[in-house]
Amino acid sequence: MAASPWRVTVIALAAALTAWVWILAGALFALRWNAIERPGPPIKEVFPYGELRIGIDASYPPFAVATSDGLFGLDVDLGAALAERIGIPVRFVNMGFDGLYDSLRADQVDIVISALRVDPARLGDVHYTTSYFNAGLVLVSDNALIETMPDMSGYALAYEFGSDADIQAKRWLRRIQPFATRPYETPGIALDAARVGEADAALTDIVSARLYLRQHPDWGAHYTPITDEWYAIASRIDKWILWETVERALQMLIQDGTLETIIDRWL
Amino acid sequence: MMNGLNTLWKTLFPHWRWYLRGGLVSIILVALAPAPPRAVLEAQQTVETTKSQVCVHTRLIDEVFEWKIQRSLQMVREMGADTIVEFFPWAYAEPGDGIYSWDSFDRIVRHARNQGLHIIARMGLVPFWARDDIAEQSTTLNYLPEDSFSDFADFVAVFAARYAGVIDHIIIWNEPNLSFEWGYRPVDPEGYVRLLQAIYAPAHAANPNVVILAAPLAPTLEPPGSPHGLNDLLYLQALYDAGAAAFFDALAVHTYGFTEPPEAEPGDTVLNFRRAELLHSVMVAYGDTAKPVYITESGWNDNPRWTKAVRPSERAAYTVNSYRWAEENWPWADKLCTWVLRYPANTGTYPDNFTLITPDFEPKPVYNALQEYARGWEGSDALWLPAPGE
Repeated sequence: MAASPWRVTVIALAAALTAWVWILAGALFALRWNAIERPGPPIKEVFPYGELRIGIDASYPPFAVATSDGLFGLDVDLGAALAERIGIPVRFVNMGFDGLYDSLRADQVDIVISALRVDPARLGDVHYTTSYFNAGLVLVSDNALIETMPDMSGYALAYEFGSDADIQAKRWLRRIQPFATRPYETPGIALDAARVGEADAALTDIVSARLYLRQHPDWGAHYTPITDEWYAIASRIDKWILWETVERALQMLIQDGTLETIIDRWL
Repeated sequence: MMNGLNTLWKTLFPHWRWYLRGGLVSIILVALAPAPPRAVLEAQQTVETTKSQVCVHTRLIDEVFEWKIQRSLQMVREMGADTIVEFFPWAYAEPGDGIYSWDSFDRIVRHARNQGLHIIARMGLVPFWARDDIAEQSTTLNYLPEDSFSDFADFVAVFAARYAGVIDHIIIWNEPNLSFEWGYRPVDPEGYVRLLQAIYAPAHAANPNVVILAAPLAPTLEPPGSPHGLNDLLYLQALYDAGAAAFFDALAVHTYGFTEPPEAEPGDTVLNFRRAELLHSVMVAYGDTAKPVYITESGWNDNPRWTKAVRPSERAAYTVNSYRWAEENWPWADKLCTWVLRYPANTGTYPDNFTLITPDFEPKPVYNALQEYARGWEGSDALWLPAPGE
């Protein structure tokens, strides 16, 4: 017996309605479930060695540097602050940059904090936290009319020869009205050129810019970000709870201003 | 029954013709999408150089686009280097036991040959099936259990046979004197000798002209018992003590200048460019004088903040002078290869400052300096302006 069209329509509508109700209920449940504050597993389970083991390449000031008195730097302070917030001791494992990701895989460390840029190619192996620092390029100038790269038309731009700034300058030359390019040997010399008037602005990485501005407080220059290089903390992808614990601690450091204080201490 | 299905179909999909048309348009749009840039082989090229020692380490294996491989190798040739060192990961070519996939290797070899370049192949990176049960123990891609030495030896032999006459120099492993390069286990010179032994005869049987290079060691001062690694001089002595001499034809060496110029005196407690001389002294001390040395990594870094870096101008001068030093003083060094031509993408930190060209193929000062040296050109104009006040 052939089914009448209205009967089929009613059945289909009923099925669709039922499915929607279930989907809606599921979504509401998921939202509610996520909102419930639950105690995490005991710290001993998350950190079975009883400490936060941090992989770090301490050869890259001001993020980390090794001296006879120990390790110092922005990343070191951040790691110590995270451990304190989590409530466990910290241990830094100093190693070469090449070994950092492998040390996670081999369970030699719990996390890596080492001026580590978020690398999309590694997202299958590691989790990254929220970025704690943007190490991209900035445009530094004491000219109030220069805020962004399009403002550079008709002016002179200083930068380090062969650097990312050099590449960015050439890209912008293809996009906007011409500006004069002034390559120098180092970012510091490029900033010198902008300060003494040989150039109207300098394009450098933010670390060089901030350190330079600290050394020259009388120079009334401002800077604006031009590119992004996000530094973040890496953990193993199969250690979800560990990542969540570290991420939560990092968020606390961001919200209470501790992270900003640490950055200001070093830059 | 059929009527019922027909009615259901029309009720649920009253606009099925439009869906069909939409699908067809999608297929046409996909077909019309621009193809990725092609990398057509050029007429056979030859390298113009006045310095046969000049060589560069490339990192092409992880490059996605074939045209970028071609462009990289063109720039090697244009620089005046006739040889590259390239990584050929076992895990890429043998994803399953006895199952081979050569495409990524072949495209590098094809373009290198087209540019007239020789290849020194570095082998390593263990496929998951050759490691211990990774569900029980998390291991790195540098973890090669002794049970799998024969698997690796089989692969090297297959590789040697496949590329015989094209790739006749094969480096076995990388820096085994570092714990992380040995799969985050304590370093084991005797174990590495057993690996060489497993590989040597099958590789020569597969390609009688093959030159097996013992792994380059990481320049390090780590003392015996260190969890990180072992001093390269001590490790090399341990290799000879374990009978390694019979199982390699040449020694690969890594030597970096760090903050010192190439002429700086070497010493047991110093890491600098001339540490290669100390490694060669170990070879001589063990009577292994006839074997050549291939310096497969060398160079300086010009990151503005890395503690082991120099300024860009120093980097360019030191690099060229290191070739002069090797040419005049190291007759035992067949090749001096600079690390590294280019990365597919920047790392965002100091390793980027080892490259000779940017990911966008912009040559750095050190590339230009090496090119002038290798091709015998006169020095060009200054590449950057003098500092204010100079």
